[in-house]
Amino acid sequence: MRHTSLVSVYISLLIALLCQLFPWVGQGIIFRPDFMLVVILYWLLRAPNLCNVGTAWFAGLLVDLATGSLLGQHALSFSIAAFIALSYQRRLVLFNTWQLTAYVAAILTIERVLILLLKLFEGNENPGWHYFWPIITGLLLWQFMIMMFGGLTRPKTN
Amino acid sequence: MLKGVHQKLEAQQTPAFFVRGHSPFSRMVFFCALSVGIMAVDARFNYLSQVRQAFIAALHPLEVVANAPSEWYRDVQKYFSAHNALVQENYALKQQAFEHQIKLQRLSTIQAENDHLRSLLNGNIPIQPKAVLGEISHMGRDPFTHTVVVNRGSQQNIKAGQAVVDSKGVIGQVTRVYPFTSEVTLITDKELSIPIQIERNQLRAIAFGEGNNTLDIPYLPTNVDIKVGDKLVTSGIDGVYPSGLAVATVTKIQQNPESPFAKIVSTPVADVSNHLQLLLLELPEAKENNLAPPSPAEVVDHKKEGETKKNSDLRKNSSTEKKINHKNKAKTNAPH
Repeated sequence: MRHTSLVSVYISLLIALLCQLFPWVGQGIIFRPDFMLVVILYWLLRAPNLCNVGTAWFAGLLVDLATGSLLGQHALSFSIAAFIALSYQRRLVLFNTWQLTAYVAAILTIERVLILLLKLFEGNENPGWHYFWPIITGLLLWQFMIMMFGGLTRPKTN
Repeated sequence: MLKGVHQKLEAQQTPAFFVRGHSPFSRMVFFCALSVGIMAVDARFNYLSQVRQAFIAALHPLEVVANAPSEWYRDVQKYFSAHNALVQENYALKQQAFEHQIKLQRLSTIQAENDHLRSLLNGNIPIQPKAVLGEISHMGRDPFTHTVVVNRGSQQNIKAGQAVVDSKGVIGQVTRVYPFTSEVTLITDKELSIPIQIERNQLRAIAFGEGNNTLDIPYLPTNVDIKVGDKLVTSGIDGVYPSGLAVATVTKIQQNPESPFAKIVSTPVADVSNHLQLLLLELPEAKENNLAPPSPAEVVDHKKEGETKKNSDLRKNSSTEKKINHKNKAKTNAPH
């Protein structure tokens, strides 16, 4: 595990919150990735000693407050997503890039479906298939995170 | 005690090298329970609105930073807008203002006449609500709800429940107020309903948002006198929206032989995606106390009833009754 400081975790979370607050106009909101979720997933998989399910829960609560949705919805889905991410965290060394991407996509999908279920319980309309676009954009953001902060595992030294 | 047992078990199962406090599973269960609790409290009670307000106020600087790029873009666009376009716009606006002035002249005489007639009929004169001009700072961040956020908040005396209109018609209602911003729920939102009246025949009904940019008018029988293209205006009997504001136009009427009700779909006339400015109308209740003294007929009414209820409350009731009576009279007299 490479050294990462707690400061970089919180600063990247703050930037993610800022992106979430960015005024998304018209159709843009359909494609908006879950900035907070992708960033917290990255740090959970990269540095599980610095953040845990509780951090993800807190990030979800911030998202709830920022979006004005029912308090606790994103907190719930983020903590479940974080648990799934952490339960395979030690086996990630065995994954290649494509497997890792599929793994992240699966977690993002699960989180999306959880939010959809909660929203449907709340009495909202079925939003249609475009609701799942943020998974694709979230994966792009994931690649960007890897480019910015480096891969999850130690670079191979032969 | 339980905790101690748990730790002991964990220490047995996993080597100390891997132990990082509680296991992710127990953490997940704890935080899920916590979020479910918060959700229940937020949905049922009002305790958390204070938390939300404080958080949004604290978040305001961050929001300003997030909004800055789009505002710069707008400013730059304004700066580089071509001279020709500005001249054309100026010409069009002047023409529009001229037309409006002519209409306004007629309106003021009609208004005076209307007030006079109402006073003859002992009806009360409708109040012109005060309004605050606001600007949309962004669309709502939750894609499930139809909301916009306006740059006026409790610092500018905005209160939850105020009606919001633009130059074409009703946009919606203020639902949450934060110190510097407020959240306006659009009439197309599923949670919002608005009392309306068909302009052509004064038929009253309630329109509900459908959650997909249309309004639905349920519970009207299939033989109701309503046509495609009918204009819907606010009826004003709710005490939130002043009467006579344009709301929507009917676009589709479906008559299902199996259902006793017609399916009436209408699209709102106001369009938030095209412009930024909107008006937040003051709540009529707030003005109730500083109203002009009630007309003599009303005072007599109160004395006759001789009740000890709140004066304002009564006045409201009697005025709405009178309005309705007045309308009925007009309906029966006027040859439609």
